[in-house]
Amino acid sequence: MRATRWVLGSAALVAVPWIAAAVVPGQQRYVLHVLIFTALYGALALSYDLVVGHVGSLSLAHPAFFGLGAYTLALLATEARWPFALALPAGIALAAVVALAVGVPMFRLTEHSFAMGTLGFAIVTQVVATNWVDFTHGPLCVTGIPKPQVGALRIATLPAFYWMGLGALALVALLYRGLTTFRLGRAFHAVRDNETLAAAASIDPLRYRMLAFVIGGGVAGGIGALYVSYVGVLCPGELTVSLSVNLLVMVFLGGVGSLRGVLVGAAAFTALPEILRMAPTWRMVIYGLLLLVIVIRAPDGLEGLMRRASSRRRRPASSGA
Amino acid sequence: MALFETRGLTKRFLGVTAVDAVDLTVEAGELVSLIGPNGSGKTTLFNCVTGYLAPDEGRVTFQGRDVTGVAAHRIARLGIGRTFQLVSVFPRLSALENLLTFLQQHQEESLVGRLVRAPRVRRLEAAAVERARSLLDSVGLGGRTEAPAGTLSYGQRKLLAFAAALMPDPDLLLLDEPAAAVNPTMIEQMKAQIRTLHRQGKTVLLVEHNMDVVMDISQRVIVLDHGQKIAEGAPEVVRRDPKVVEAYFGR
Repeated sequence: MRATRWVLGSAALVAVPWIAAAVVPGQQRYVLHVLIFTALYGALALSYDLVVGHVGSLSLAHPAFFGLGAYTLALLATEARWPFALALPAGIALAAVVALAVGVPMFRLTEHSFAMGTLGFAIVTQVVATNWVDFTHGPLCVTGIPKPQVGALRIATLPAFYWMGLGALALVALLYRGLTTFRLGRAFHAVRDNETLAAAASIDPLRYRMLAFVIGGGVAGGIGALYVSYVGVLCPGELTVSLSVNLLVMVFLGGVGSLRGVLVGAAAFTALPEILRMAPTWRMVIYGLLLLVIVIRAPDGLEGLMRRASSRRRRPASSGA
Repeated sequence: MALFETRGLTKRFLGVTAVDAVDLTVEAGELVSLIGPNGSGKTTLFNCVTGYLAPDEGRVTFQGRDVTGVAAHRIARLGIGRTFQLVSVFPRLSALENLLTFLQQHQEESLVGRLVRAPRVRRLEAAAVERARSLLDSVGLGGRTEAPAGTLSYGQRKLLAFAAALMPDPDLLLLDEPAAAVNPTMIEQMKAQIRTLHRQGKTVLLVEHNMDVVMDISQRVIVLDHGQKIAEGAPEVVRRDPKVVEAYFGR
């Protein structure tokens, strides 16, 4: 039963380009574009939730790792003519290595000072991207980033990018689930909830915080690389603090520490501003008001709302039986 | 060779010597109590030997191995379990998950193995769950396995922390005031638990304020006052020691 639903759901997700073409023929390109962003944001939010939700370290460095992966691919693909199949892993590896190097001093800080330290790192990264014009082209942006090509497979059309985004999201979701369940997941949560007691349970807090930070950073780098190969242009503005704010909204208003919650959050908060384009003047005002309503009505995020709704649905059924 | 030993263990805080050149020996299978008035350095000593504080002087050996200044998670991995004076559990995890969390080194799995839910991982998990359930049963929490630890009563959390410390089957168990701030029924239950452990051959070092508990169950008592060891011996001998009486009741 569950397996059938799973197969049908996956098949429907894969078939979206055809469904969109049939249902909204004039808008297929736009719908796919929003869905590609949703998939990439979903994967990015999951990688962020590993750090923020599962080991409980409020890092604001995620835009920097996203940017490192993005710039690695952009510069390697344009200046050095590296193929996508090499430039993507290079982006992931560089972001992960930098996360490791930055994590060593940063994790000597705790709580608020950790947040400030990582914010500082993110700002420095953006300033370097803006001002090191010889290397990053600064505000002139890296342009003409080629479409990904792996062997004979060339990802150039919107449906192809959609399937690429969907595949990336599926991989990241699988990794997320593997990391946050069983022994590893319990160690993450132990470190988050009570560091002192975690050590008594032979869990090294620093090691697990580092693990989440480095994997989260590497994944963010990979998503950054995919993002620029879709968009084709990379400007330093992509790395600003507002990316952290978006991710925080998706994770905390979606459902911190929950796969479903974070994905719903990513979908809702990518699609919402698009839907609100119907009222262009008031768009951001309505968006802000909606955020406020969610914070007040569902402080534990959309995941909390869904959980309460499904338990309400179950209760009358069981009392009737 | 003693299972566990400190030699000249000293810890100072800003000029106050909290633990002052303490020599302490625990043989395998012993049940030893560490007592002393408030502020006599018992918990500081516990923290020094479990890696939570670095001692300023002296040596700690466990199973013939120098473990002075080794990090807390490594000490735990070597087989020293401990509980905390202020009850310490993972409040958001269920009682069962609290125990499973303590079984880290017994579940070496590869990331790939977990991603595909390899049969070996399932088997290890099932064995761990079974052990956790039986431990929860033995402390009387068998009916609360799925309850978030934060929703349990104070006494129940204390029992949960005790069961969790037993989960990795430590060679030495350090209990910091297991009977403090729990009701008399719970104290009896705690005493019975510790006795059972002792009968099973476990080595236990106990910090405790409740004299009834100490005198009732320990084989040997060590008394600290102002960070120094002032007496050591069988419970009934220590109880009559004038130095001990003076430390507790004043002159």
